[in-house]
Amino acid sequence: MSEVRAAGVIHDLGYRGYDGPRLGRAQIVRALTWHSFRSAFGLGRGLKGKIVPVLTFIAICLPAVVNAVVVARGGTRLFGYDVYVPTLRVALVTVFIAAQAPELVSRDLRSRVLPLYFCRPLRRGDYPLAKFGALTGALLILIEVPLLITYLGTIASAKGGSAIWAQTRALIPGLGVGLMWAVLFSALGLVLACLTGRRAYSTGIVAITCILTFFLALLLTAAEGGMTATATGARIAGLFSPFTILDGVRVWLGGDPQTGLVADPGRYGPLYGVLAVLLLAACLGGLAARYRKASQA
Amino acid sequence: MPPIEASPGTGTAVIETAGLTKVYPGAVTALDGLTVSFAPGVTGLVGANGAGKSTLIKILLGLAVPTSGHARVLGRDCATSGEAIRTLLGYMPEHDCLPPDVTATEFVTHLGRVSGLPPTVAKERAAESLRHVGLHEERYRLIGTYSTGMKQRVKLAQALVGAPRLMLLDEPTNGLDPAGRTAMLELIGRIGTEFGISIVVASHLLGEIERICDHLVAIDGGRLLRAASITSFTQASQVLAVEVEEGLARLQAELAAHGLAAAIQRPAQNGGAQPGSGQYGSGQSRTLLVPLRGDDTYDVVRDCVAALALPLCRLEQRRHQVEELFRDDDDEEEARYA
Repeated sequence: MSEVRAAGVIHDLGYRGYDGPRLGRAQIVRALTWHSFRSAFGLGRGLKGKIVPVLTFIAICLPAVVNAVVVARGGTRLFGYDVYVPTLRVALVTVFIAAQAPELVSRDLRSRVLPLYFCRPLRRGDYPLAKFGALTGALLILIEVPLLITYLGTIASAKGGSAIWAQTRALIPGLGVGLMWAVLFSALGLVLACLTGRRAYSTGIVAITCILTFFLALLLTAAEGGMTATATGARIAGLFSPFTILDGVRVWLGGDPQTGLVADPGRYGPLYGVLAVLLLAACLGGLAARYRKASQA
Repeated sequence: MPPIEASPGTGTAVIETAGLTKVYPGAVTALDGLTVSFAPGVTGLVGANGAGKSTLIKILLGLAVPTSGHARVLGRDCATSGEAIRTLLGYMPEHDCLPPDVTATEFVTHLGRVSGLPPTVAKERAAESLRHVGLHEERYRLIGTYSTGMKQRVKLAQALVGAPRLMLLDEPTNGLDPAGRTAMLELIGRIGTEFGISIVVASHLLGEIERICDHLVAIDGGRLLRAASITSFTQASQVLAVEVEEGLARLQAELAAHGLAAAIQRPAQNGGAQPGSGQYGSGQSRTLLVPLRGDDTYDVVRDCVAALALPLCRLEQRRHQVEELFRDDDDEEEARYA
């Protein structure tokens, strides 16, 4: 009896094993990332899951479309690629991560699916890595696509190669700023969302954290004399929210201080850079720690 | 590292542990020097809640690191080859682990991908696994609309989808009604015997496990209580219960004269636990337990009862319950499997 079993005899019931090639760990992580990326936009989910990501995406693209129309009628570009429409972008990125980071992580915590992932050929860091990659990709789409629309809308009416070149040169730092935003806010959103499996709570935690810190930084800046002030207080007021930290980094790296969210950080610029890196490291470390614990539970 | 396709070795143990100890923070000892081996086939892992079953499964999956000792699954070390082992394992957790808002097909396909199957293979195997567990018709429904029994089947299907060599099932009959339990056990038995997959079924319900297992491993307080082959033992220990209204001692003597050493059934400790045990409050037993050697045993009993003209109430074949099996200390099987 046991010899029969060990030899793996196939019976008429139709069960077939699988001895073909299996994907390696990297490919499994890629598959999980793609699956999560799709669900960040509500693909593979019901209609309800698509409402927030689609509306957010349309809303953030509107200024770019308006810009295209204005430029076509002879106007100049309405906003810089590096800042886009700053407060709108803050609001929509907040809405997006508050709604979609829980979609990626709280859902699995809530339904306790995690053991089914950890009992498969993944390492413990692979799951948060895939989720981070997926949300970063989704945020890149959300942030960079409007910039590309702005760029295309502007060069469509540009006259001459030098004008196009000037637009391209302005676009590249803008894309870089977008990448910073995508990486940091993906990590921040996930680490806050994975605190609880209750989706409403994690949405609340993400939204409140983003909104409160942002307004705190704005109020501090205003109290210290506003965006054009050069006092130390105004220069460091932006350190109190992730959005303004990244804007401080942008200005430090040579961006226009007049169009963004913070006063010119001046010699405190490196502080913004260090804080941005530390914040990212803390978020990713927290995420890894959270799933190290979860994989053993 | 040996290639994943390497044969686990015909007839050798699928799981071996040596001195496996797991102490959780706070000095909670879940496993205490457990040394046991699991043969291919269906093995029941029995023990009360907190005996260390789930901890053992976590160590076998490479998810928990033992405090000391070693464990090998399909010939690979759990501490160093966790990923390779997990490729060959299917795991069904005890608790609910299904998202309500996806269809069973999508969910099982996705987990097939995570098991390392290429996309089309994952799709095929998901459909097949769901068919094998009896969910072919309902596989496009959202899991949230399923009954408890159907959810348990999805959990089993996701363990099966990755074409495992060994399946670890943690309390697979949890939350099911008697009919659902029977169906689930039959399904597991079929996977074990016909699909060529070795299975370890953890359960605290000994009576259930007994039905489908080839071997039993009982643990208690993180230690090995007993490891035994269930078929060989129960075959050797089948008894015939003979209940008469009177003349028990006379019948016992008569049977002894015919070479059958019948024992008077001791009054049950927990009254009424066993139906038909012949106890009616008096504490006086009316049942003889006769070792069943073959068909001629029935003839001898019939002849003896007839010769004494005793009023016979009941004649039934009885198998030892697993509890007794593990309580019985002078069992020769123990030496063979321990």
